Amino acid sequence: MGKPGVFITCDTFADDAESASRDNAMPGVRRSIIKSSEFYKLRGDVKTIRPLVEGVFDNIIDAITTPLTLDEADTAREIKDDDGPDEITITAESFLAAIEELNQQFVEKRWSDGLPFIPPTPERVKWMLSGTTRSPHEVIGRVNPKQGIATIEKIAINAVMAGARPEYLPVIIAAMEALTDEYFDDLHILVSAGSFSLIIVVSGPIAKELNMNSGIGFLGHGWRANNTIGRAVRLATLNIGKMWPGANDMGLTGRVNPHTFYTFAENADLSPWQPYHAGRGFKAKDSTVTVATIGGASPMQNFYGGMIGTWTAEGILDNMVNDIIRTDRGLFMLWGVKGVGQYPGSGVGARNHFIILFPELAAELKNMGYDQKSLQDGVYKRTAVRYEELSPADRRGIQTGIEIGVVPAERKAVFEAALKPGGMVPVLISPENLHFFVAGGAPGCAFSFSYFRLPPYNRIAVMTRLVTGATLTRAGVIEGKNVPYGA
Amino acid sequence: MAGTVKLETMGKPGVFINCTTFDDDAKSASADNGMPTLRRVKISSQDFYKLRGKVETIRPLVEAVFDDIIDALTKPLTPEESNASGGKYEEESTAGVTVTAESYPAAAEEFNSVFLNNRWGDGLPLIPPTEERVKWMLSGTKRKPDEVLGRINPKQGVATIEKIAINAVMAGAKPEYLPVIIAAMEALADEDFDDLHVLASAGSFNLLTVISGPIAREIGMESGIGFMGHGWRANNTIGRAIRLSTLNIGHTWPGKNDMALTGRVSPHTFFTFCEAEDFSAWEPYHASRGFKADDSCVTVGSIHGESQLNHFYGGMIGTWTAEGILDRMVEDLVRTDRRGYFMWGTKGIGKYLGSGGGAMNHMIILFPELVEELKKIGFDQKGLQDEIYKRTSIPYDDLNPAERKSLQTAIELGVIPTDRKAVFEAALKPGGKVPVLISPDNLHFFVAGGAPGCAFSFNYYRIPPYNRTALMTKRITGATLTKAGAV
Amino acid sequence: MSEKVKLEVLNPRGVVEAKQANAPAPRLTDLAGKRVGLYHNGKPGLDNFFTVFEELLKNKYPTVKTNLIRGSFEITDKDAEAWAPQIDTFVYGVGD
Repeated sequence: MGKPGVFITCDTFADDAESASRDNAMPGVRRSIIKSSEFYKLRGDVKTIRPLVEGVFDNIIDAITTPLTLDEADTAREIKDDDGPDEITITAESFLAAIEELNQQFVEKRWSDGLPFIPPTPERVKWMLSGTTRSPHEVIGRVNPKQGIATIEKIAINAVMAGARPEYLPVIIAAMEALTDEYFDDLHILVSAGSFSLIIVVSGPIAKELNMNSGIGFLGHGWRANNTIGRAVRLATLNIGKMWPGANDMGLTGRVNPHTFYTFAENADLSPWQPYHAGRGFKAKDSTVTVATIGGASPMQNFYGGMIGTWTAEGILDNMVNDIIRTDRGLFMLWGVKGVGQYPGSGVGARNHFIILFPELAAELKNMGYDQKSLQDGVYKRTAVRYEELSPADRRGIQTGIEIGVVPAERKAVFEAALKPGGMVPVLISPENLHFFVAGGAPGCAFSFSYFRLPPYNRIAVMTRLVTGATLTRAGVIEGKNVPYGA
Repeated sequence: MAGTVKLETMGKPGVFINCTTFDDDAKSASADNGMPTLRRVKISSQDFYKLRGKVETIRPLVEAVFDDIIDALTKPLTPEESNASGGKYEEESTAGVTVTAESYPAAAEEFNSVFLNNRWGDGLPLIPPTEERVKWMLSGTKRKPDEVLGRINPKQGVATIEKIAINAVMAGAKPEYLPVIIAAMEALADEDFDDLHVLASAGSFNLLTVISGPIAREIGMESGIGFMGHGWRANNTIGRAIRLSTLNIGHTWPGKNDMALTGRVSPHTFFTFCEAEDFSAWEPYHASRGFKADDSCVTVGSIHGESQLNHFYGGMIGTWTAEGILDRMVEDLVRTDRRGYFMWGTKGIGKYLGSGGGAMNHMIILFPELVEELKKIGFDQKGLQDEIYKRTSIPYDDLNPAERKSLQTAIELGVIPTDRKAVFEAALKPGGKVPVLISPDNLHFFVAGGAPGCAFSFNYYRIPPYNRTALMTKRITGATLTKAGAV
Repeated sequence: MSEKVKLEVLNPRGVVEAKQANAPAPRLTDLAGKRVGLYHNGKPGLDNFFTVFEELLKNKYPTVKTNLIRGSFEITDKDAEAWAPQIDTFVYGVGD
């Protein structure tokens, strides 16, 4: 817009800033760098930060006033990151020496996640693609932060690297479809300092066909399908979105489950209910993948169950309700905040909760008369707070949230009615913000994750996609089409 | 199971009752305890956990197994049952494995499938441990391949340098990492270290492995932004080598005898990282454990399950002060550890006094800037231990009668060690301040992270269920490819 | 005729030494008049389980004597040595 400026950043974020300038098509943005080790320490007080500002003052003035160099001014060229060659060839004394060389090179190039991967040779990629009817050239969408183009082929390459099998590919594709959806905020989870993570939940008949584990140890090691599906999503986003820890993936501590996210399947055999997706607009007999961003490094709220004490469904429900009130009640005053990003309320305020119930617990709840929908309604009601207990700031927050559209139109009446003496004010915008998945063995545990209902940089951060185009399973097939592409 | 076997060997015929979920585990444990044909009666897990709450509900279940129990106690032993001696463990081949295929990639796929079917893998791609690769790996240590480090539970498998090298190859490690992996396994295999609980318990406990000293930099470990996450070959494959070594040498499998109900977070790599490099405000962790500051060491500690990261922050979101973080830490510690008072006065779960309950060890990760600040306000590690120990003490007058009784009993039983007895006796009087920690030494500080960074902690029982300790530091020795750890 | 590739890998498993295996103790022929030990390791549900079991046992064997003890997850050697002389046979419950 014709206003010359300078971007001030700390050295820890220097690479990230450079990367972001390029992502935003202005690589020549002038930046002034301050030492991280000084800024965070000294910023608390005008007196302490003074010497730091004095140190960079001239630098900032120069950045605003010194004429652009020829190089900086040359904006007409196209910026394209060097994608590297289409194929890489390694020669070595033996196959395994070549594997070692390849692994080391890829890690150095930042194309791998630190663990050994399967070399994505043309033959292996072809093998992987036999798991789908869809064309390798089909574009699924773009992955942040570099807006790299996700094609079926690129996903297949990363799936090979992850160690997946062809029959998993349609599930991996569905997960990537969710992440690259134009409304899904993949940016925040992939690069935020908060080390956010993903749950990737498979539900429907395909889970069993792929031998996904949903019993004892279902979140852990040892399950090729669970583990490599999660890893394929990790590698595909890393490579297609082009991010690297410390460079432009700024997760400060790093994520738990860094190589596989939280990837598991609902336990259809032991669940007394319909699959999760039946409550989200899909048919019960469909197979789907639900992808959702979840809170930072310590996300799991444990409601127990398990073996240590006797449990009752009522007792666990109590724990759950109290926990939700504890974490969400303090957010009322943020409902009216404009938001971190371009959407009202983005990156603040009310939350989505993803709750995993072990099968016996679901059976008990069913005995008590609950299905998922009535459980949503029940918990939604029980987590409401008395109007009289709200502070003025809470009330103002909710009020503003209604005015600026953070509270959606269809929920407005509910909150307007609640914001009166005698009213019960829900901490959840809607019962739909409770997502119940049935997974685990006997005995099992109930636990949950949560995240902003409105993510910082886009409209949503939870999405369910249909698994389609499968060739090697009965589930996930588009009717009538069961032939691998190119066969 | 050991107790049941003991009673039988004393000539008392009995029967062991277990649920179906734990049937493989019970069968395995019988063999581990030298009585493979011990009689067992199994009950459906689903029924038992659901119906055990009331006499009326469990009645039909007991009626259904009553005759089986009587039979188990009264029907004569069959020749097969009597003929149990011979010392044959379940048939598992000790030979190598050969796969043949059309191509190397096809052979690698076949190898991965075979290993995972055998329950010798962890779900992600393995590097084939050929003789050549294992020889390459062993070049990282001077120590002899047949050197025995100890045994790994639950099967008490023998841990040799060679077996560790084989699993290190599979994990994708490099030879220069091997001495680190060996030191970690020395800790786990130590006769005083409780590896059984972390490897097999239903609670999905995890392992913290921290490398300190100059070797970390020499082998390219990462301690900055994202240090606990993906992308770091050394961090990730060292952790994975420990996972695979314990899985294969101890013979554990999820759902069979590794009963972690949900499965562990970061299941493939555990929490594996190094102290900050080039950080000189404090001495390395191991200097407080009796090692020389310029040694290189590995510290291995069991840690609590999923919600173990107690976040004290720092980081980017708000300004922080060292005092503020210290306050949070103290608040958090008092809150969680006070809940343990009621168990201080119990003998313990296992054979060691106070085992598996009561007072805790805390492993606290501080980011470098925070430590600089702490040093400025006058704290070194010892000073900080003393300060937190003092500040987390609770006024005697605030304790309830049950808490007081429990602490009194703890002194009487000797759960509170003799060298701390006087402190607690003095505190348990009006006007006294009662510590929630047995000793300031139960606070362990590790410096790791980048700028900005976060402070967070893990904890675990001071005395684990099945052995004397679950936190141990070993010196790295025998390295050939690095200057550090050579002697 | 395709060229077959051979991959030979070493065994990653720790050697588990053969253990001395023992046969269980010989059975009683009949529980009438016998002392049946019931071991309760503290886990929930065992109270109710043993309540019903004792009832059924006494119905079937009116002269039987039961002896319930509570202990830790694993009966300690000391407790086992003290208990054994008081019982003729036992049922060991772990609540899992």
